[in-house]
Amino acid sequence: MSAGTWGLAFAAAAGGIGTIAALVTVGPTRRWLVGILSGLSAAAGGATAILVLVGHGPVTVHLPQILPLAGVELNLDALGAVFVLAVAIVALPASIYGIGYTAHGLNRRSVQAMYPLFIVSLLLVPAAASVSTLLLLWEAMALTSLVLVAAEHRERSEVREAAWWYGSMSHLSMIAILMALVVFAGHAPGETFEALRMSGRHLSSSTRSFVFVLSLVGFGTKAGVVPLHVWLPRAHPEAPSHVSALMSGAMVNLGIYGVLRVTWDLLGGGPIWWGITVLFVGVTSALFGILHALVARDLKRLLAYSTSENMGLILVAVGAAGIYSSSGNPMLAGVAITAALLHIVNHAAFKGLLFLGAGSVVAATGTRDLDRMGGLLARMPVTGAAFAVGSLAIMALPPFNGFVSEWLLLKSLVQGLPASSVAISVTMPIAVGAVALTGGLAAAAFAKAFGTGFLARPRSPQVEAAAEVGGTMQTGMVSLAVACLGLGLAPFALLDVLRRAGAALPSLWGGEPVRSVGVTLHTGGLTGSLSPLFIGGGLILLVVLIPVVLRLLGVAGRRRVAENWGSGRSLQTARMEYTATSFAEPLQRVFDDVLRPEFDLAVTHTAESRYYVEAVRYRVGIVDGFETHVYRPLIRVAKRWGEMSRWVQNGSIHRYLAYLFVALLIVLLVSQ
Amino acid sequence: MTDSALSQLLGLAIGTALVCAYVVLWRSRLISIVRAIAVQGAAVAVVALTLGLHEHSVEPVAAAVGVFALKAVIIPMLLARWIRQSEELREVDPLINIPASLLAGGLLTLFVYATARQVANLGSDSASRAVPAAIAIVMLGLLVMTIRRKAVTQVAGFLLLENGIALVAFLTTSGLPLLIELGGALDLLLVVLVLHVLAGRMVSAFGATDLNQLQELRD
Amino acid sequence: MTVPAAVGALIQVTLVIAVAPILTGLMRATRAKLEGRAGPSVVQPWRDIRKLLHKERIKPEYSGWVFLLAPRVLLASGLMVVVLVPLITTATALGGSGDLFAVVYLVLLGTVFLVLAGLDPGTAFGGMGASRAITVAALAEPAFLLAIFALSVRAGSSSLATIVDSVLAEPRSLASPGSLLALAAVSVVVLAESGRLPVDNPSTHLELTMIHESMVLEYAGPDLAVVELASQVRLTIFLGLIANLFAPWGIAVTTHPADLAIGTGVVVAKLALLGVVIATFEVFVAKMRLFRVPELLTAAFILAFLAITMSFFLT
Repeated sequence: MSAGTWGLAFAAAAGGIGTIAALVTVGPTRRWLVGILSGLSAAAGGATAILVLVGHGPVTVHLPQILPLAGVELNLDALGAVFVLAVAIVALPASIYGIGYTAHGLNRRSVQAMYPLFIVSLLLVPAAASVSTLLLLWEAMALTSLVLVAAEHRERSEVREAAWWYGSMSHLSMIAILMALVVFAGHAPGETFEALRMSGRHLSSSTRSFVFVLSLVGFGTKAGVVPLHVWLPRAHPEAPSHVSALMSGAMVNLGIYGVLRVTWDLLGGGPIWWGITVLFVGVTSALFGILHALVARDLKRLLAYSTSENMGLILVAVGAAGIYSSSGNPMLAGVAITAALLHIVNHAAFKGLLFLGAGSVVAATGTRDLDRMGGLLARMPVTGAAFAVGSLAIMALPPFNGFVSEWLLLKSLVQGLPASSVAISVTMPIAVGAVALTGGLAAAAFAKAFGTGFLARPRSPQVEAAAEVGGTMQTGMVSLAVACLGLGLAPFALLDVLRRAGAALPSLWGGEPVRSVGVTLHTGGLTGSLSPLFIGGGLILLVVLIPVVLRLLGVAGRRRVAENWGSGRSLQTARMEYTATSFAEPLQRVFDDVLRPEFDLAVTHTAESRYYVEAVRYRVGIVDGFETHVYRPLIRVAKRWGEMSRWVQNGSIHRYLAYLFVALLIVLLVSQ
Repeated sequence: MTDSALSQLLGLAIGTALVCAYVVLWRSRLISIVRAIAVQGAAVAVVALTLGLHEHSVEPVAAAVGVFALKAVIIPMLLARWIRQSEELREVDPLINIPASLLAGGLLTLFVYATARQVANLGSDSASRAVPAAIAIVMLGLLVMTIRRKAVTQVAGFLLLENGIALVAFLTTSGLPLLIELGGALDLLLVVLVLHVLAGRMVSAFGATDLNQLQELRD
Repeated sequence: MTVPAAVGALIQVTLVIAVAPILTGLMRATRAKLEGRAGPSVVQPWRDIRKLLHKERIKPEYSGWVFLLAPRVLLASGLMVVVLVPLITTATALGGSGDLFAVVYLVLLGTVFLVLAGLDPGTAFGGMGASRAITVAALAEPAFLLAIFALSVRAGSSSLATIVDSVLAEPRSLASPGSLLALAAVSVVVLAESGRLPVDNPSTHLELTMIHESMVLEYAGPDLAVVELASQVRLTIFLGLIANLFAPWGIAVTTHPADLAIGTGVVVAKLALLGVVIATFEVFVAKMRLFRVPELLTAAFILAFLAITMSFFLT
């Protein structure tokens, strides 16, 4: 057995032992064992991925005896390894974090036993190398995460509702993927990916398009793209936070993996409208996601919508790669696909970090409402600093990691234009405009999340009394913050190995799309380079140097703490602060037409005179338009059908026997 | 003038005309809209003039003079006087808000670019390459007419449409025969006058020129 | 990185720090003259900074490290841009470390920290300024990036030095609709991002109408000096960018000392000219209502968008 095989085996074994440990132990031992074993599993998976990425791959495993008929086929190539790496980057810190986090009422047998299995399934999905293996692992991932989402269903009724939504959408996704892959495999000599890959290019174009559309729907649901995102802003906030981190940072990525694997690896790429479709799905998700993140009051809901947005950005890059490749420009496609893969890893790091930070806030204050927070930076310095790092990274600001992938993404969209294809010259300006607007709104959304959540003064007593979380939780957050900074300063280490992942998608890769000379990144096509180390390092150096220079100029070092000036106001209370809702109000007003907020203004007057106002109550609510206008009607229709079918299903055994009989007759008739 | 300088001038003039169409979408002050229409008329005249100089023919030059007089001077002056009289200075409440209509206009231009080439099967000289821009102006004119309420903005949309058609004609065939051009111009003047009278009647009947109120006539 | 190139970058940083307050002073003096006031001398901003540096440092009661860090990040991001942008010479090898896109994100970094600093002390005015500033920044970013897109397509590069070189090599390309529209879009973005009229009024002292000034209300003494200097540096960079992207003549293309001297003189002249033009413009316009600003920025976005599409239609 090779080192890689040992790695995968170790990851699976550690997860399995973790589950057994959760079942047989109790109390703090359970928390610690589950955390450590899941962490080990993630670490082993990550190590295997790195082995594959630096060239010791692919890792292949045949286990013919496990599944009847098909057997389990695993083959971890460089493309899958990138996704395994992204999973490991979140799963390791999240597991350590979970040791402390689960102490508050989550140390139940069912929850703790599912957690390691969830991590193992996340690690193995990208390694699946046959249709049945993929479907098996995919379902395992969906079911374990469903149990984890429902962890607190006894405490809160919203959790039950979220689990319902999540379960239904997961099934929809599963059905679509199943249909796509079964049809695909039906036209191929076998059901291993090897066989699919060989026949993928030779199928009829209608079959290929059928497989593409269904797999986009199925995997897109998992990635939370609009309009299939409805489960995401419900399930992610209600799940325990270390699970939300895994779902948002790692699980949704696998949706992107599915799209890449099926469309551009197994089918070998297709006509230009595939790329255009994916790009516009991405554009819609990015804009819709970030607009709803901008106006969300619930911190975790904000993060969940931002996950939709980031998946959208990644799909924009994937779609652009598809468009370039279909118009005969594999090198430009390579730049775009590098941007997509890099953003997947980066997103895993900062979104994991932000969800862990939000979890700490929830654990310390018991609220997710940004309007009730404030002043947390002073009360929870480590959590606050980590959340600040995550926010700056997701805003794509230097010196953190989001900056590099956003730069590459914009670069890949811009550089296509000198090409003369009409499709490119029409789509790319729209894509750049949308990505840029998304970037601007993301800055606003996360300035809101950090600024109104952690700065200023607390707006409610339970936040006033918040205290910093424990050591394991801090370790989880700090390690991810360090990863955000490290990937931001030295992305070239990762970019060099992404080359192998790109080579696994030959239709999207050509030449040397992104190369690093020293610490500077150059892209093919349109010239222009970036040295994240120089910019980031320079920034840090200047920030350190400025006070030194000031000191040399004779400026006093100590500061006197004085009352706020506030334009001469003598009274300052937390009620005067801008809340999250008021902070986002101007932008919400700009995008009124899309968000369609519901206002409610109630003015009550004193009993003595109606000229004296007693209270003004202003309420603004924003609901997801897709939910009210698409899903609710669908659910109503489904319900009606359900009611109608009740007379078919009435419990009488005789009637069931009659059905069987009629069905048999019909089969005989048809087979004539 | 050299050929490349001419084609650059052509590009600038058509660019100006297209930007003016967006200014009509952007501004809510009616007088600014009229100014944009005037500038666009002048730009159309410059296009005709440039093409005339390029082909050393007199007819487009004469057309240019006519276009300038009518579209850059006479009609804008009529409209400006009309605005002063009616005391309606702003398009207050368009059917679609201004940022959204600007974005719609931008997408419309891209759409025209993507489709016009196949429709027109155009050559590669600079005049033919600019035809989609002219078609885009036509489309923007239609857009303005659909989403704005006031009588003046309706006329402005119609003028955009007219200017766009004139541009298409100049660019594809270096100008219609002078006679047809003149006939078209007279039609245009007539339309403006008719709408002027109509608007006057509307003001006396409804107190404003909001064309949506014409719906009341249905019953 | 070669030694002369690093020297070039160092000269640029020194020049910008020295010139930035004087540029602001010049703009104020121009305005005063046009409005018939005597007005302060052009070096008054430097005197203000010197005075502020020797005052006591004060930290508002409820603020934390974000408030203290923000002025430094604002200045550092500004200076980082100065290192990357060709102001005096296109031959700074450091320009290869970041292109126009990097400049956008560095500017945004400064804005975001200022916004956070506005929220940190928890006053009503700080929050109001922060909310407005992030609104303007969020809507200006797409216009800015699309304008950059238009410029980079023309030059085949997003690197600032290459764009400037391509204009020098073919000055006629500037008179194309694409370039002119990009110039218009960038100008609007610059007015918005640097808090000038008609988006924000830099000289108002009425809190309800302010954006930038109300975020920095709580700063005093040396911290205020750093904030002021940083804002002035940002304005100088923006004007320098416009000057060199759309009228690069006179910029040095080598690191020869004589060329550098000429380049320095020319860029100072261009900055002064642009400053006077903007100050004159500001005399004639009024501040827009806040909810009209999105319309202006959408217009800038559309201008940038047209700048790209026109390059398909027209040469």
